[in-house]
Amino acid sequence: MAEIRNYTLNFGPQHPAAHGVLRLILELDGEVVQRADPHIGLLHRGTEKLAEQRTYNQSIGYMDRLDYVSMMCNEHAYCMTIEKLLGVEVPERAQYIRVMFDEVTRILNHLMWLGTHALDVGAMTMFLYCFREREDLMDAYEAVSGARMHASYYRPGGVYRDLPDSMPQYEESQWHTRAQVEENNKNRQGSLLDFLHDFTERFDTYVDEYEQLLTNNRIWKQRLVDIGVVDAERAKQLGFTGPMLRGSGIAWDLRKSQPYEVYDKLEFDIPIGTNGDCYDRYLVRVEEMRQSNRLIKQCISWLRDNPGPVMSDDPKVAAPHREEMKEDMESLIHHFKLFTEGYPVPEGQAYCAVEHPKGEFGTYIISDGANKPFRLKIRAPGFAHISAMDEMVAGHMIADVVTVIGTMDIVFGEIDR
Amino acid sequence: MRALTQFFKSLFLLELFKGLSLTGRYLFAKKFTVQYPEEKTPQSFRFRGLHALRRYQNGEERCIACKLCEAVCPAMAITIESEERADGTRRTKKYDIDLTKCIFCGFCEESCPVDSIVETRIFEYHGEEREDLYMTKEKLLAVGDKYESQISKDRGEDASYR
Amino acid sequence: MNVNIEINGKELQAENGKMLIEVTDELGITVPRFCYHKNLSVSANCRMCLVEVEKAPKPMPACATPVTEGMKVFTHSPKALAAQKAVMEFLLINHPLDCPVCDQGGECDLQDFSIGYGEGKSQYVEAKRVIKDKDYGPLVATEMTRCIHCTRCVRFGQEIAGIREIGATGRGENMEIGTYIEKSIDSELSGNIIDICPVGALTSKPFRFHARAWEMQKHNGVAVHDCTGSNVEFHTLRGEIQRIIARENQDINDSWISDRDRYSYLGLNNEDRIFKPMIKKSGNWETVDWEEALNFTAEVIKNGVGTIGPDSLATLVSPNATLEEFYLAQKVTRGLGSHNIDHRLQQVDFRAQESDPLYPGLKMSVKQISEQNAILLIGSNIRKEQPIIAHQVRQATIINNAKISLVNTQHYEMNFNVSAEFADDANILNNLLALAKVLVQKDKIDVDKAFSKLISSAKVTDNHEQTIAELKTDEDSLVIVGNTAQTMSNYSQIKIIASFIATNTNSQLAILTHGGNSASAYIAGAVPHRGPCNQVEENGLTAQEMFNKDLTTYIIQNIEIEKDLIGGDSEEVINHLTKANTILISSFVTDKMKEYATIILPAAIYTESSGTYINVSGTHQSMNAITEAKADSKPVWKIWRVLGNLLNINNMDYMSSEEVKDEVLDILGDKDMQSSINWMDFELDQVSNRAEYKVKPLGIYAVDSIVRRADALQRTADGQQ
Repeated sequence: MAEIRNYTLNFGPQHPAAHGVLRLILELDGEVVQRADPHIGLLHRGTEKLAEQRTYNQSIGYMDRLDYVSMMCNEHAYCMTIEKLLGVEVPERAQYIRVMFDEVTRILNHLMWLGTHALDVGAMTMFLYCFREREDLMDAYEAVSGARMHASYYRPGGVYRDLPDSMPQYEESQWHTRAQVEENNKNRQGSLLDFLHDFTERFDTYVDEYEQLLTNNRIWKQRLVDIGVVDAERAKQLGFTGPMLRGSGIAWDLRKSQPYEVYDKLEFDIPIGTNGDCYDRYLVRVEEMRQSNRLIKQCISWLRDNPGPVMSDDPKVAAPHREEMKEDMESLIHHFKLFTEGYPVPEGQAYCAVEHPKGEFGTYIISDGANKPFRLKIRAPGFAHISAMDEMVAGHMIADVVTVIGTMDIVFGEIDR
Repeated sequence: MRALTQFFKSLFLLELFKGLSLTGRYLFAKKFTVQYPEEKTPQSFRFRGLHALRRYQNGEERCIACKLCEAVCPAMAITIESEERADGTRRTKKYDIDLTKCIFCGFCEESCPVDSIVETRIFEYHGEEREDLYMTKEKLLAVGDKYESQISKDRGEDASYR
Repeated sequence: MNVNIEINGKELQAENGKMLIEVTDELGITVPRFCYHKNLSVSANCRMCLVEVEKAPKPMPACATPVTEGMKVFTHSPKALAAQKAVMEFLLINHPLDCPVCDQGGECDLQDFSIGYGEGKSQYVEAKRVIKDKDYGPLVATEMTRCIHCTRCVRFGQEIAGIREIGATGRGENMEIGTYIEKSIDSELSGNIIDICPVGALTSKPFRFHARAWEMQKHNGVAVHDCTGSNVEFHTLRGEIQRIIARENQDINDSWISDRDRYSYLGLNNEDRIFKPMIKKSGNWETVDWEEALNFTAEVIKNGVGTIGPDSLATLVSPNATLEEFYLAQKVTRGLGSHNIDHRLQQVDFRAQESDPLYPGLKMSVKQISEQNAILLIGSNIRKEQPIIAHQVRQATIINNAKISLVNTQHYEMNFNVSAEFADDANILNNLLALAKVLVQKDKIDVDKAFSKLISSAKVTDNHEQTIAELKTDEDSLVIVGNTAQTMSNYSQIKIIASFIATNTNSQLAILTHGGNSASAYIAGAVPHRGPCNQVEENGLTAQEMFNKDLTTYIIQNIEIEKDLIGGDSEEVINHLTKANTILISSFVTDKMKEYATIILPAAIYTESSGTYINVSGTHQSMNAITEAKADSKPVWKIWRVLGNLLNINNMDYMSSEEVKDEVLDILGDKDMQSSINWMDFELDQVSNRAEYKVKPLGIYAVDSIVRRADALQRTADGQQ
């Protein structure tokens, strides 16, 4: 009798549902997946190695490009590690700005995830709604840093610039009358904070709309409920963090368990799931968006009342203001040296992690006292998650593979780094 | 009783119709479409796009070939060759930016002590061959000359933050 | 005697009387400083090195505080740091905001210490002082507003260069550093003030605005323009040498190099440089590829050797070539049966060459010259010929109060105290004979008739007696025969009598040779009378004899005959070259050279090829290629190697220049280089008197084809002569 072998299917790396460049080797018995073997490395750029040849600040831009849907959170972990090594104090206002933008980033990330996940599973319109909201948040990114995605806005010691007091406006054209433009510009009259505030006021309704479309939708539930179940114990063993862990019912969130910046001064809740399936993880993430919205609101009100510096006053780390640089000798020297040699970081090692939209994102830096890291190690949450791919899809139908990839919220920038 | 409600809800596709109603609402809602490229979405004065080299009002190029931007560029996209110009000042002989390497982090602009290299609002440039994306000093100065009014306005707005 | 001290809580012993900063430097503890320099005297005027000393009421300058028993020092205590911070702030008060346009930016002590020890912001709002700029000539660029008055350059001028060209005028805020009268700086060591200037006040003019310190690659190397073997650092950017700076070697050049070594790189990219092999076919030059060129060359050589005989081939190698090149050149030449190989371009009298030791040189390290108590300098304008050796001689006069006597044909300006100067315009020998006569008479030395006849006519003065007495009093005395003597037509006699004086006064005899690597040439056998490492061979033609008769083939490596060879510009020499097949292995080719050459093989410049240099005291220093050979030029040792293969010379399959070097060193065995300088017995009557024939030796900036092309050097006062 002829030997019966499983059918091997190559999924990706050019598959639209592969979220970038995931290559999965699927062993199929009929339509049932027996084994899934994720191949990674197609987006490897050697970020960790590159960082060894660049001054500390030069690598900030590369952090953006790790998980390229939650840019500022990556920067945050990196900057915090350096601050820990340097022992630099970050001004409170900068801490609030960072927290605010971490949460903006979280919403950005979850919107991206929700849109694509729903699209993968078959709900086409979600993508459009999610991207509509992303647009506003990207405008916030642009207003503060000048770039819609790769911000390089956080710096060791604070953030580069304070929030702008004005927002750019739509302009009149042959397609839009003055009245229409004025309508569109309504939320752009004030500062960035006003703009964001307007967004937070609207956002809860938007989340309701998403839920209206998905939460009870039978197709959505059929595709998500009881798919990719990971129980609490196993989730811990697999090194899950973030929504992947909380979906399995473990209330672990770095913002609560080891609060950094000003999270301990802010009110928010940690949603958790019960079953550890894709549907629970969906619910957790949706709730996280609402919580992030809450956090942003609190940050906005604090930031409105408390002007102040946004960068450490340590001249050995923070570049001087431009006016000072042009007028005073010490500042010019520090400017010159900071932009050419950077600053030396005391010998030692440090690990700092943030609650990234995808889980625990941490950077580990060993410094030999030079102006470049001796070694930079990035702990990317997605890497632990994708390792569980085989376990999560084994026994499921091939269509569920897409669901599981979606629920993991995989971005290859951070996995391959 | 609960099971019964559930059954009818399910039978009449209630949640699907709810979703559809949302879609329907947006079908008739006012459109927000921006007619790109004739129309543009708003752009921040901090926007980091195509680079430009600026001049002083008297036409003298600002760049003094200090090479800070070259040193700080994480992608090593900037290449400068400097020399002593006939009048004894320090000037660039060559100022190239390889846009295929550039990561638009804005550090060059941050480092420039004379506000010479700047990132403008332009994002819709293209090249038909690789060479088109190697910006030379002449090309960069041309960009600067063309958009100087916008550039100086943007720097002016941002000045108090930097 | 040692004393017990404590630095930063660490107990240790230090030599009594040593300055604190020397102790901390040895321990690797950083104390910031501007005015202190290891090789200069202490002036303690910048106050940057203030440290806290227990029981001292105020912080003490580490550079001027000698260690004493029981001293407790804190270099990084709050008090010390506060003092340093305050000093730093004062230093920056008048400093202009020049960093972006300043060449020192990135390697500036002021920047570094401002970051490390200074404030982050300035409190100073008043107007800054401005100083009118000075013009120090074509080598040193100035921006005196940046000056912080550390006076390193002033002290360098006084203590090292020996010319008080720079000084401080005015006091307090009006203090200015400058030449007292408006003039350029003409010292042959002037470039070193660039290296020692801690700020951007003094920078290199030819290098001005060319590159930043951080973007250049640093390569260690050796300077090849004189026989000192000074250690230098080459800085390159994108494959081009941007500058040369001094590399410390306390056995040779301390922290200094001569301007010639520093600025010679300016000649590397001269337009005379050629990149493609060329052959002259029926009067017209044709560019060919290497294969054709080398095959044709081999053919030409073979034909000449085959039809006329091996003696019709002569090889002339530049004295700046590497050990490897010398060795391969002589291997090919001797392999073909010819002994006509030489490198001694600046010598006309070869009569006593048999008595030369392994190589003419110095039986001590260059540094040890500064430990001598008496030196007799014969036929040497040492400052212009070997500036670093002159520096060491000068150090001897300062450290040991050494007595220096000069025997020359004219008066040369020296920068040290001269105890006796014999400048006889007519004949250098007369004075030497007078010195010998003093010796013979005083010590009743038996000499043969011919010699006593020679010395009998010499006129002895008190000065001669004094010089001999000085040489005799101490063991540490030295007789140096310089380059100028070598160019003379009675060099053999000068050498013999110098040797006679040295032997009988118990002094060392040293010969400072022309070119950067003539020690290697002797060791490798690039001389007509000896093979590698002293193997005695049949005598070939010397550099001068090669042009006395018609030969069929000349191979000339990196020499411009009309400028480098004594008498090379005569019509006779050019005629011989034109008639014969002249093969040039050369980096630079002028139109004049094209007239007499037959084949031109483009050679890589010394910085583009690996090789070994042996200095006057036998220190061999190997150097890697600093940059790649440009375009189609090839390292010379490779050209010789392939030529050797094409000419069927045995054992020419070297894969690297190290293999060649190893082969030479194998032949050399375990000979100690310095002790090999044993002068063989000179027969005093071997040399008959010969009328003196004087040649004007090459000027300081005309010694080789690279230096001659360094335009900034040519614009200096020395270069103009």
